[in-house]
Amino acid sequence: MIEKISAPVSVSLAFDHAKRRVSPRWVVWEGKLYPISKVGLHHTYREGRVLYHVFSVASKALFFRLVLNTETLHWRLEEVSDGLPN
Amino acid sequence: MDYPTELGFNQKPSTILHIDLNSCFATIEQQANPHLRGKPIAVAAYTTASGCIIAPSIEAKRYGIKVGMRVRDGKLLYPGLIVLAPDPWKYRNVHLALRRILSDYTDKFVPKSIDEFVLNLEGYPSYRSGMLNVAGEIKKRIKKEIGEWLSVSVGVAPNRFLAKTAACLHKPDGLDEINKDNFKEIYSSLTLTDLCGIKIRNAARLNAMGIFSVSDFYEAPYFRLKAAFESVLGYYWYLRLRGWEIDDVVFGRRSYGNSFALPKPLVSVEELSPILSKLVCKMGSRFRHAGYRVRGVHLGLAYRDGGYWHKGLTTSKVLFDSRDIYKVALRLLTGCPYRKAVRELAVSVFNLTSQDSLQLELFDDLEKKRRVVGAVDKLNQRWGDFVITPARMADTKDVVMDRIAFGGVKELEEFMGVR
Repeated sequence: MIEKISAPVSVSLAFDHAKRRVSPRWVVWEGKLYPISKVGLHHTYREGRVLYHVFSVASKALFFRLVLNTETLHWRLEEVSDGLPN
Repeated sequence: MDYPTELGFNQKPSTILHIDLNSCFATIEQQANPHLRGKPIAVAAYTTASGCIIAPSIEAKRYGIKVGMRVRDGKLLYPGLIVLAPDPWKYRNVHLALRRILSDYTDKFVPKSIDEFVLNLEGYPSYRSGMLNVAGEIKKRIKKEIGEWLSVSVGVAPNRFLAKTAACLHKPDGLDEINKDNFKEIYSSLTLTDLCGIKIRNAARLNAMGIFSVSDFYEAPYFRLKAAFESVLGYYWYLRLRGWEIDDVVFGRRSYGNSFALPKPLVSVEELSPILSKLVCKMGSRFRHAGYRVRGVHLGLAYRDGGYWHKGLTTSKVLFDSRDIYKVALRLLTGCPYRKAVRELAVSVFNLTSQDSLQLELFDDLEKKRRVVGAVDKLNQRWGDFVITPARMADTKDVVMDRIAFGGVKELEEFMGVR
């Protein structure tokens, strides 16, 4: 089931200078911590001047669409899915 | 002009690569969400029952789900079908990442659509590695640098048409070559409608001339193809099938347009005009951003009963302000003789001109108008689309969503500078 939401979340983001790669490590949503096991895709888009980074990531059981506003450096969770049909 | 009509198959080695990202939108969604991998999914224009499926995944295709089907029909074929709304920026980012990889091999590459590229390696150092080796390397780099779930089918040939045909031989993840040594064998395994550009009507034309297979098509003398197509197209096919290049043409932009499929039936001008205003605003900011002005407006209405009405108007003045374009479009709308439920509203502008100077007018201060329009465009670019809009656009927040074009990639020129 896919659920579109817009919730503030806490995210840990790591930068590996050797691989030049950035990846979210865990997300805290509604008081529960979800370790990220896989980064599916990273993409960007702009709304006006503000650049947003979108990380499509998966924990063991859930998918999260995490969006970083590069002006405020705040994260929002925009989509959660368990990979099952609605 | 006399065309050479005694040509054999082009003896030139293969220098063209055609790359096609398999089930593009659906595969990218599966790349983004690992929990969707290996499952029948579909990207649809709308996720409602009557939404149109624009990209089924490879797994969904195995259940007979095809592009153009309604979501309800897809779910009849496979009730567990997962349906997703399109996410254009995801696809544009992958397209741009593909461009970056391909530009390492040649400057002569042309994106034919969001998921198709043509590369010409002739004269480039990468050619010395061997076409099939380059193709294999590109496949590996896409998996490593963009996403391991993404797969491409690659075709190699002496011309673009045969490279595309080769890319379609084995999907997904294929790699095939059509050349002077194997073309007869491959032609014998294809049907006429396997060829891009030959569907039922063209096949019927060919059948009428005694051509029933691709091998017949190749063997047919030029005069028979000319009789079948009744135009120069016959000669183009004569060249394509012999590996000579005829499709190395890039068409420039001649118009800008936006359309919207209405989720509920609207009839009156009062109901349609706010949506028309939003379409005009979006289109206006796009062509002005590209440095154009226009001298023509076209309006098209598709009705729920299957009917269609359209009209274009060439204007005496050069237009650049969305408000002026809206006035012309509204005049066309009010002049429409039909008042029935509209399914889709489309507006476009044509006669593009990039001239910088403006013809002065007696009563209108065009320079002031140009500065106002420029200031509004800057504000919308700074704070996001539709921050400043005409008041008539009130209550149109959720209509005219960002969409991605299927056919060409002319819209991508608008996004190339944003990253």
